[in-house]
Amino acid sequence: MTTLLRCTGITKTFPGVRALSSVDFEVRDGEIHALVGENGAGKSTLMHILAGVYPPDSGVIEFQGRAVEIPDERRAQQMGIGIVYQERSLFDLLTVAENIFAGNQPAGRLGTIDRTQMHIAARDLLRRVELHVDPATPLGRLSAAQQQVVEIAKALSFDSRLFILDEPTAALTIAETNTLFRVVRQLKERGVGIVYISHRLEEVFQLADRVTILKDGRLQGTFAVAETTPEQLVSLMVGRDLVREPGHPPPLVRDVPALEVIGLSGPKTKPVTFSAWSGEILALAGLAGAGRTEFARTIFGAEAQQAGEVRIQGKPARIRSPRDAIAAGIGYLPEDRKELGLFLEMSIAQNIAAARLDHFGSWHLDDRRIEEVALEYMKRLSIAAPSVHTRVGSLSGGNQQKVLLARWLVRDPLILIVDEPTRGVDVHAKAEIYALLRSLAREGKAIIVISSDLPEVLALAHRIIVMRQGAIAGELSAGEASEEAVMRYAAIGVEEVAAK
Amino acid sequence: MKLPGFLNRETMLVGLMLLLIAVNSALFPGIFPTVGNFTAILRSLAFDGIMVCGMMLLLVSGTFDLSVGGTFSMAGVVAGWMMKNGELPVAVSIAIALVVAMTAGLINGLIVARVRVNALIATLGTMGIYRGVAVLLGGPGITFLPDSFSRPGQIVILGLQGPVWMMAFIALLFSFLLSRTRYFRQYYYIGNNATAARLSGIDVPGLQTAGFVIMGGLAGFSGIAFASRVGTSVSISGDGAELRIITAAILGGASLTGGKGTILGALIGVGFIALINNALIIASVSAYWQSIITGAVLVAAVAMDRFMKKD
Repeated sequence: MTTLLRCTGITKTFPGVRALSSVDFEVRDGEIHALVGENGAGKSTLMHILAGVYPPDSGVIEFQGRAVEIPDERRAQQMGIGIVYQERSLFDLLTVAENIFAGNQPAGRLGTIDRTQMHIAARDLLRRVELHVDPATPLGRLSAAQQQVVEIAKALSFDSRLFILDEPTAALTIAETNTLFRVVRQLKERGVGIVYISHRLEEVFQLADRVTILKDGRLQGTFAVAETTPEQLVSLMVGRDLVREPGHPPPLVRDVPALEVIGLSGPKTKPVTFSAWSGEILALAGLAGAGRTEFARTIFGAEAQQAGEVRIQGKPARIRSPRDAIAAGIGYLPEDRKELGLFLEMSIAQNIAAARLDHFGSWHLDDRRIEEVALEYMKRLSIAAPSVHTRVGSLSGGNQQKVLLARWLVRDPLILIVDEPTRGVDVHAKAEIYALLRSLAREGKAIIVISSDLPEVLALAHRIIVMRQGAIAGELSAGEASEEAVMRYAAIGVEEVAAK
Repeated sequence: MKLPGFLNRETMLVGLMLLLIAVNSALFPGIFPTVGNFTAILRSLAFDGIMVCGMMLLLVSGTFDLSVGGTFSMAGVVAGWMMKNGELPVAVSIAIALVVAMTAGLINGLIVARVRVNALIATLGTMGIYRGVAVLLGGPGITFLPDSFSRPGQIVILGLQGPVWMMAFIALLFSFLLSRTRYFRQYYYIGNNATAARLSGIDVPGLQTAGFVIMGGLAGFSGIAFASRVGTSVSISGDGAELRIITAAILGGASLTGGKGTILGALIGVGFIALINNALIIASVSAYWQSIITGAVLVAAVAMDRFMKKD
């Protein structure tokens, strides 16, 4: 195999940060090369340099045997470097075909768009990525996963020699992930080089030929996947061995549950009944799209409660809005931090105080007290930031998540629902968040964790409820739970969907 | 682009204002830099200064109200109509006019926050309605209002006229409310991220509705004060107010996406526009130019805002 891309001594400095220092990186024709590292390790910076978003400070990039410069995104596309970004860059109101050929539509003689040609080409590309939708469908009607696949079809349309996939499976179900893997392997067989950026090490071992590890902008090494182990990769990523605390049984007094949900249904969920006790961590497992988030939002009053009842410590609670839920003692940490949780332009202190302004004065607001409390929680949760006045939008994903957790700690709810608490969070912050959730449970809170990350579910939960298609598919204790057991409950739904 | 701390929006605007004052003083010595002229400027900006407090509150929470000028005219006309045609006591007439203005605000609030119609469309519509009501009720205007009504608008205390004192009081009050109280702090959260605010237990529709009611009340109060000052309910007195006030608030640091802005900034914005208009009047430039220049300042301020954000 010949070398497709060779980067030598790539260095990039941003004000105050050395994002990459003298990194060497190489991709061969027909190779799937995984790029792993914690958030902030420099993966995105390297990807952006290859995509032409910004140039390196120093270093040489050779593509197909020649030294090249990549001044902008368009040039990268023309050279044959295709990027599939983690954040979608698509247009909901346009059709699938229009999205694939955005800025690149096949034109007729007068410069008008040749729709027939565009749809034929789009249909061909969609077949190659096994996405069976009409190219004339508005993109907004597709699921998040299908949209991700459209993103890949778009990169395919440039006939790229090198593909860079940034966390492509973050929002995908298992079935969709498998489809994606097939597409990636097909590309490989055609001799295309692939850079695969992922947090999920199991995917690296399923898919990649070689893996390169970055840490704090430095190269930690490149290995053939067959000659390394997940443990070795993790220790290179974090520079220490990751300890996985086993799920200890909670000291349960099973008298009155902290939260009792009886036949509760909402606009998007079927009736569900379950209980959660003080001191336990209950996981709601299942595939993406199983209705867990919608269900949590219904308990929290963010979606209308249509039927059924919620009881808190045995007393019926009328919940018609998040305000009612909070007053009743429920906290909810949403999945989408930036859209639903954070006030990005506001300070850490203001974000932490948001759910409990009444705590800081009945009508006059005591800003000094807010700052004191915020500082206390910054220390307790080891939030890395210069001060309590730091803008939350400038923090890393892990620190943002800790700010949100601090908000609920200040509120001190009986029941805390956390939705995908470690998505987009680096390994180190992840361990801290686990420790925090465990200590909250020990303090006597009922913690409900929604997670699609099975190792996470198994590491944290005392009890696991598996959901599929908006209903409970099964329940497992920590003792009987395994990845296979959870998947068995969760996956029957997938086959049903496939049979339709 | 990041500006050094002392070069914030307020100090930059004050600097620009001082420059304007210096240039005007050099161009029109004997006319511009006089006590008489400066009290005239203050008097003319008082009405906008009262209204801008409400507009800043709405902009902070991520919305705005185009119907303020209509409410301003309507409240002045209702007060005048009640005392002249209805022969009601002055205090009762004022109270009724204020209630009408706050109801106008409530209607805006319900349409925007509950029915969830876009604020641009909703208040553009009610702007037409409130303006129409003002002209329908007041005709060309209601003149020779009672002296007891005109007194507060024309009284002079310590060299400054009644409306200036009213503005000073209202501005101080709202500056305190917006920066120091729990209730009003919530508007900043809403403007920053309304969904996150709702999930944090903040009553978003309730607060937004209250914001529109406050806006209506202030526009009405200002309109009544204006009628009091001129002794007449002028049916179109508020036309164009929305342009001046929104421009002032944006100049003063509000953002159309919400989440930021202070009352002090808004007042400096009002002062800036009043100074420009005063200079145009002294230079005997046609009054239509005032609208053209105010509009240009609005577009420039928003463009500046976009430019600064690219850091």
